[in-house]
Amino acid sequence: MKAQTALGAAAVLLLATAVYTSLLASPPDAFQGEYVRIMYAHVPNAGVAYLAFAITFVTSVLYVWKRRPDYDYIALSATELGVLFTGLALVTGSIWGRPVWGTWWTWDARLVTTAVLFLIYSGALLVRGLSDDPQRGARLAAVIAIIGFLDVPVIHYSVVWFRTLHQPASIAPGSLKIAPPMLVALMLSLLAFTVLFAYLLRLRTRLARLEAGVEL
Amino acid sequence: MRNDLNAGVDTSAVITRGLARRFSIEWAVREVTFVLPPRSVLLLVGPNASGKTTLLRLLATALRPTDGSASVFGRDLVRDADAVRRLIAFVGTSAGVYDLLTARENLRFAAAMGGRPDAPVASWLDRVGLTAVADAPVRTLSNGMKRRLALARAWLTSPRLLLLDEPYSGLDSEGLTLVAEMASDTTRRGGSVIIATHEWERGMKMADAVLALAAGRPVEIGPAAQLTAADLAAAAGGTR
Amino acid sequence: MNGVLRAAAVARKDLLMEWRGRQTITATGMVALLMILLLGFVLGSEPGRAAAVLWVALGFAAVVGIPRITQSEVEQQALEALLLYPGSREHLYWGKGAALFIMLSALLVALLLLLGVLFSVDVWTHVGALLGVGMLGIVGLSAIGTLLAALVLHVRGRELLMPLLLLPLALPVVLGGVRLTETILAGTTSALWILVLVAFDLVYLLVCPILFEVVMDEA
Repeated sequence: MKAQTALGAAAVLLLATAVYTSLLASPPDAFQGEYVRIMYAHVPNAGVAYLAFAITFVTSVLYVWKRRPDYDYIALSATELGVLFTGLALVTGSIWGRPVWGTWWTWDARLVTTAVLFLIYSGALLVRGLSDDPQRGARLAAVIAIIGFLDVPVIHYSVVWFRTLHQPASIAPGSLKIAPPMLVALMLSLLAFTVLFAYLLRLRTRLARLEAGVEL
Repeated sequence: MRNDLNAGVDTSAVITRGLARRFSIEWAVREVTFVLPPRSVLLLVGPNASGKTTLLRLLATALRPTDGSASVFGRDLVRDADAVRRLIAFVGTSAGVYDLLTARENLRFAAAMGGRPDAPVASWLDRVGLTAVADAPVRTLSNGMKRRLALARAWLTSPRLLLLDEPYSGLDSEGLTLVAEMASDTTRRGGSVIIATHEWERGMKMADAVLALAAGRPVEIGPAAQLTAADLAAAAGGTR
Repeated sequence: MNGVLRAAAVARKDLLMEWRGRQTITATGMVALLMILLLGFVLGSEPGRAAAVLWVALGFAAVVGIPRITQSEVEQQALEALLLYPGSREHLYWGKGAALFIMLSALLVALLLLLGVLFSVDVWTHVGALLGVGMLGIVGLSAIGTLLAALVLHVRGRELLMPLLLLPLALPVVLGGVRLTETILAGTTSALWILVLVAFDLVYLLVCPILFEVVMDEA
C-alpha cells in the first residue's frame, strides 16, 4: 500500500509539473505556434501505449509458458491501459494534425500502425470478454497479444514502403526539430505519463487479483 | 475393486486421488478416489448431471482436473497426457464421425491419426457388421450404424482403457452385443473398461465393480456382487 | 508417431469433405465474386485497380472461409475425437493449414481469371509470377488464419471477431500482395516486397503452430 500511495503522489506531482512546463513554461513553436503543446500529450500517450503493449507481450509469453495467474493479471491491466492510451494517442494526434497540417488524419505509417495496434488489442480484450471460460479467455488474449506484437514492426514498414512508392512521406510529428526547452518539457511529460501508467498498472493488477480471488 | 491406494501402482489400470473438476463456480466432479485393477469392467452410474461424463472426459484427457490427480497404467493424466492418449479410447454420446465420408474413409482416417496407418480397416468394418455399407457416405447410415462405426473407431486402436459414455443408447441389438464383445476383448488383452450409463441393468451383466456418483461425488463403491438391484436403482436415480 | 502422415491425413480429410460438401468454396467464392463486382462497378474497372480489388476480395473471402475449417469439426462433433488422438496437435495445424492454402489458391486462380475479364488486365503473360505471388500471400493468410480459426472456436461472436482479428494482422500480406501484383502486371517485380512476404510467412509459420497447441489445449 505504501508503494502504491508513493507512486500515486509522484504521478500527481510530476503531472502537475508537466502541465506547468507544457502549457506555460515552454516556448511556442516557430512554425506551429501554440498548437505544438498538444505534442506534450500526444507523444507520451503514444510512448506509454507502446510500453504497455511491450509489457503485454512479455507477460503474455510468460503466462502461456508458466501459466501463473499473476502474469495474466498484469497482461490484462497492460492491455486495457494500452488500449486506453492508444485511443488517446490517436485522438490527440488527430487534434494536433488538424490545425497544423489541415487534415484530421494522415495515412503515415506511425498513425496507421497505431490504429492497427488499437484494433488488435481491442480484439484481445473482446476475446477475453466473449469467452465463456475466463481462463481460456486469458490464454486466447495472450495468444493475440503475442502475434500482434510480432506483427507491429512488419505492419509499420509495410505501410512505409506501401506509401513511398506513390506518395512523398508527409510530415510526421516526430520529424520536427526540437529546441532544448521544448525537449525538456517533452521529457518531463513523458516521465509524468510513464509514472502515471505505472501507478494505474499496479492498481489495475491488484484489482484483477482481487476479482479473481473473490470468484473462487 | 479396492480403495487401497498403495497397492500395485504400476499394475493398476486407473488410480485417482481426489480427482475434481470445476466449471466456473460449479463442481462437476469432486473427491473421486478409486483404484481400478486391470482386466476389470467398472460400471459408472448416477442420475443426469451427476458427473459421469465429466469423469470419463477427465480420464480421457479431454479435460484437465481442477484438483487431485489420476494415472492410467502408471501415466499421469496431466504430465503424460500424450502417453495416456495412446492407451485410451473414448466413445462419447455423439458418434463424432464425418458425415460426408464413407465408413471406410472414417476408419482409415482414425487409423492414420491414431498412429496405426496399416490397421486392417476392412476387417474392423466386418467385426462391427458394416461391410455392406462400408462405401456409402455416413450420412446415409442409420443412427445405430453410426454408433457401431464409432465403436469400431475406438476398437481398432486396441485400447488398454476403454471409456464408454452411454454406449447403449441409440444402438440396435447387434450393437449391444458389440459392446459386450469390445469389453471382453479389452479385458482379455489386459486392459480395463469403464462404462458410464444410466441403463444399469445392461451394464451389470458385464461389470466387476460399480461406482455411483451423485452431484459429482462418489456415494457407492464396491464389487458388483455385493450390491443389490435396489441399491443400484437408487444410485442410478431410479431410471430404468 | 509420424507427424507428416497425420498432417496429410487431416489435409486429405478436409479436402475430401470440402470436395463433397463444397460449403467453404461456395461461401468464399460468392463473397469474393460479389466484392469484385461491387468494387469494379463502384470504383470503375480500370486495369490499375485490379491488384487492389483482388487482394481486398481475397481478404474478405478469407475472413468468411477461415472459421469454417474448425467450425466443420464442431458441427460434426468430431473436434474432441480429433484432439484425443495421440500425437502433437501441431500436426492438426499443418494439415488444416495445408487444406486452407489449397482452397484459397484454387480461389485465387478463379479470381485471376475473373479479373482478367472484368478489368481488362493481361493475366496470361505473367501468369506464373502472379500465381507465385498470390500463393506467397496465401501462405501468410493460411498461417495466421488456421491459428485464428482455432482461437475463435470457443468465443462468442466468432463471425464478428474474425475480420477484426485477421485483417489488421494480415495487413502486410494485403499491402505486399497489392504492390507485387501491380509490379508484375506492369512487367517488373519488387524484391523488397517479396522479402516482406517471405519474412511474414516465415515468422508466422514458426510461431503459429506452437500457439495453436496452446489454443487447442484442454477445455
